[in-house]
Amino acid sequence: MLMIEDIRFTKEHEWIIIKDGLAVIGISDFAQRELGDIVSIELPRVGSRFGYMQAMAIIDSVKTSSDIYSPLDGEVVEINEELLEHPEWINQSPYESGWIVKMKPSNMQAEEFNSLMTTEQYNKFIGEMKKEKE
Amino acid sequence: MKTIFEYEEHTTGHVYDIDDKEKKGEDILTGLPKDLIRKELPLPNVSEVTVVRHYTNISRMNFGVDIGFYPLGSCTMKYNPKINEDVARLDGFKDLHPLSPESCIQGSLQLMWEFEQDLKKITGMDAFSLQPAAGAQGELLGIMIAKAFYKQKNEKRTKIIIPDSAHGTNPASAGMCKFETITIPSDSRGNMDIYKFKELLKHDVALVMLTNPNTLGLFEEKILEISDLAHSNGSFMYCDGANMNALLGISRPSDQGFDMIHLNLHKTFSTPHGGGGPGAGTVGVKSFLEDYLPPPRVIKQDDKFTLDHSKRKSMGRIRYSYGNFGMLVRAYCYIKSWGTDIRRVSEHAILNANYLLSLLKDDYELPYNRICAHEFVLSSKKFGDKSALNIAKRLMDYGFHPPTIYFPLIVREALMIEPTETESKEALDRFSVALRSIAREIKENPNIVKGAPYTKSIGRLDEVAAARKPNLRWITSSRPDEKKDRGGLAIIR
Amino acid sequence: MDYIPTIKNDREEMLKQIGVRSINDLIVDFKPHFNEKLDLSKPMSELELVEHMTSLSQKNKILKYFIGGGSYNHYIPSAVNHLLMRGEFLTGYTPYQAEMNQGTLHAMYEFQSFICLLTGMDVANASMYEGSSALAEAVLVSSSYNGRNCVFVKDGLNPQYMEVLKTYCEAADLKLSNEIDENTTCVIAQNPDFYGNIEDLQYISEQAHRTGAIFITCIVEPTSLAILQPPGNYGADIVVGEGQSFGIPVNFGGPYLGFMGVRDFLLKKIPGRICGMTTDSNGNKGFVLTFQAREQHIRRERATSNITTNVALMALASTIYLALMGRQGLINVAKISYSRAHLLHNKLMSSGFKAMNKNPFYNEFLMKAPEGSSENISSNLLKNGILGGINLAEDKILICCTEMNTVQDIESFISLAKEAIVK
Repeated sequence: MLMIEDIRFTKEHEWIIIKDGLAVIGISDFAQRELGDIVSIELPRVGSRFGYMQAMAIIDSVKTSSDIYSPLDGEVVEINEELLEHPEWINQSPYESGWIVKMKPSNMQAEEFNSLMTTEQYNKFIGEMKKEKE
Repeated sequence: MKTIFEYEEHTTGHVYDIDDKEKKGEDILTGLPKDLIRKELPLPNVSEVTVVRHYTNISRMNFGVDIGFYPLGSCTMKYNPKINEDVARLDGFKDLHPLSPESCIQGSLQLMWEFEQDLKKITGMDAFSLQPAAGAQGELLGIMIAKAFYKQKNEKRTKIIIPDSAHGTNPASAGMCKFETITIPSDSRGNMDIYKFKELLKHDVALVMLTNPNTLGLFEEKILEISDLAHSNGSFMYCDGANMNALLGISRPSDQGFDMIHLNLHKTFSTPHGGGGPGAGTVGVKSFLEDYLPPPRVIKQDDKFTLDHSKRKSMGRIRYSYGNFGMLVRAYCYIKSWGTDIRRVSEHAILNANYLLSLLKDDYELPYNRICAHEFVLSSKKFGDKSALNIAKRLMDYGFHPPTIYFPLIVREALMIEPTETESKEALDRFSVALRSIAREIKENPNIVKGAPYTKSIGRLDEVAAARKPNLRWITSSRPDEKKDRGGLAIIR
Repeated sequence: MDYIPTIKNDREEMLKQIGVRSINDLIVDFKPHFNEKLDLSKPMSELELVEHMTSLSQKNKILKYFIGGGSYNHYIPSAVNHLLMRGEFLTGYTPYQAEMNQGTLHAMYEFQSFICLLTGMDVANASMYEGSSALAEAVLVSSSYNGRNCVFVKDGLNPQYMEVLKTYCEAADLKLSNEIDENTTCVIAQNPDFYGNIEDLQYISEQAHRTGAIFITCIVEPTSLAILQPPGNYGADIVVGEGQSFGIPVNFGGPYLGFMGVRDFLLKKIPGRICGMTTDSNGNKGFVLTFQAREQHIRRERATSNITTNVALMALASTIYLALMGRQGLINVAKISYSRAHLLHNKLMSSGFKAMNKNPFYNEFLMKAPEGSSENISSNLLKNGILGGINLAEDKILICCTEMNTVQDIESFISLAKEAIVK
């Protein structure tokens, strides 16, 4: 049974929430801080399909360019076009106005969704990442 | 300072005498249908005095090797001999039309042929193409050669191996030829990890692309083993020759096992960087690849020089005409000036780098504790995030151009320093004093470093605004419907 | 000539500080060692170099040029060279550290602006290598944008440009095709074309856009843009070309100046460096390299192009040229070039040559010499120090005039051509 409004994270720092049968996807606060000031985003076309962990968008900051990976198998049904004029929303509000795409999962089972990291697990994950860096 | 579009209208003075027709008031363009003719040309019209002052004044907001120490790692900012500028401007070279008949271009053909022979001797390669306009275009040619070679042998090889310290052009060049890149991590001594290399060296690897010494400024200690493994696997060894300044007369890339190399003439061979080019990226190959070099090739027959336009096995020419001839003249002249003594260039490049390293390694971190080649990489990570950026900006206030920062990617807060052989001990001493002073400033007064530079024509610039609100050209009143400050632009895939 | 300033004493102190006895201790691990002396010539002083290089240059023969084909002999005002030789412009590198190189960036911004004004495009980069590879890279931009892989080229493209295009397409797994359809990534047209023909290409741009292809115009003689419609007015999405006519000598083929301008929607795909205006913390206007995330040093294998070093100094030369000539000067150059070409054309027609251009032409035109005469005519001209054009098949000659060809030169051409006609 999928829990509505439960948030999950991938190892590549995307977040995903299931709402009304659709997966809403963005990048985490940690990710936006790592990227720095975001200057643009390349969004996929509505209707395109992506497999699990396939690159579907590109975020550019002043000094970096990063792929955004699809956290599930599915089809893009909506994209946040406002980000084209306001890429800074991803920095300012990564979980709300900075959402990136909405996807229709092709065949998501509860186990798939639950295998992604919970908030607690994700915070532990980035804690370990920070330690490794030093 | 104004842009050239913001001056009042003047007469330019650069108007030539036309024939009698125009003087009689007849419209010269009567033969042209009206709809082909431009309605307006919104270019500025400014006097020569104004133009000369304008560009002279903006040049004074620049820094070059002619002004001071420019230790930009990976770029080899050595002194650009002025004699090179004079000889490149000899009428016989500069006014020669490339489509002139062979009987009229013997001097230039001879120069190209002799230059090729000199490059062969320096690198140990068997043939050179002088066509590529830059190092990156040389890399592209190298990968095209590999692609053509394997196609003709009917072997499906689609991958290129590079170390994780590689310059971004390496994988980008691979991408332009639809090759995939496999990245091998560096080991604790800064060499490419030979175990990982062996693991990933499969039969679909076309090329192994290495810089030697690498971008950490370190000589690949296992280069012969790597070459042997690559060759046994049927793959080529490609040398990114950006760091040739460490090898002249000391070690030849061909002896290291490389089958192909590009040489950046604007690096080791002293042609001026010009604010970002032109350069030239001559490509050398072993004899079994000579037929893959693009046409035309310069051939010597007795005392005459001729052009062979046959395509042989090459994919074809990669640019209009023979090459960046003006840069070939300069580099040729440079090699002729040094002649058999050219080894001194590399010896002193290496001496200077190691000396400077010894002065700085206590105040900064040295990620790989080895003798360096002609450049070295320090890390300022102990001073915190963005410290390399802030140190670079603060160095400007001390009168130096900053080193390369944040490259190679495998070193955090990287500072890549390449002094070159044309700097004196005194210059190196002053630079190390400045860097050590900034290391102290960061600890005692960090804000002063974070807000630098203070003494240049401008303060620290807002790069985020430049990208979020792009203003990429001057908009004249002839297109008044356009906003002067544009909003964010993007494409939907 | 020794450019190494280090004296013996300093060398010894430095070795001591490093902790080694000699330079050889520093290179002991650079294996395999090259143990011989390089078999190069003896070192030369400046005096000897000047003699050597001058004598080499004198083995070339500089002719009077009535030839184009991708390299155009225009007059370069003397101020261009003087400004270009300033060490501040000549000896710096790419302005990654913007605060230290506002001069280069300022000039880059002006260059980008000039290209946009001349071509009618929205954004231009800071230069490519030269015209033909700029065209090839425009094709890569187009393919990256719409994901298609067939390229349509309208006839009349400079043959060397076509060769380069084929090479890049083969490398990138793209195909040349004779159709404009849903597989077509881009449609390319040179204007004026290789034979000098000028056309209103609106109809081609419509054909391209109907199938969703990108329309690329290639300009090889850009002084034509002083009087001809900018490609932005007839639907071009990308304009590439060769800027050598703007203040750069013919130089035996290089270094030249590639340029690329695109419409807004292609901004993220354009290769090369781009300069943008911005402010510092005190609100002062300044310039920086921007949109660097497109480039190879950040995108790496996902970059559209690997271009790094471009031809900044040549872009500066053309910027200074355009500033010096101004609107008046550039229109004047174009009008004279047009006028001289048409004068020669008409005189040749009166001398037994046949006009071969089906369209109006700018400063380059195609003529058919009286049967069997073209070789003879060329060699007679050559004997008298004139390069009379490019000889093509069937007695055709492609001839070019600029403001450098005087009315007298044209008279000489005619009489020498006439006397060489095979009866």
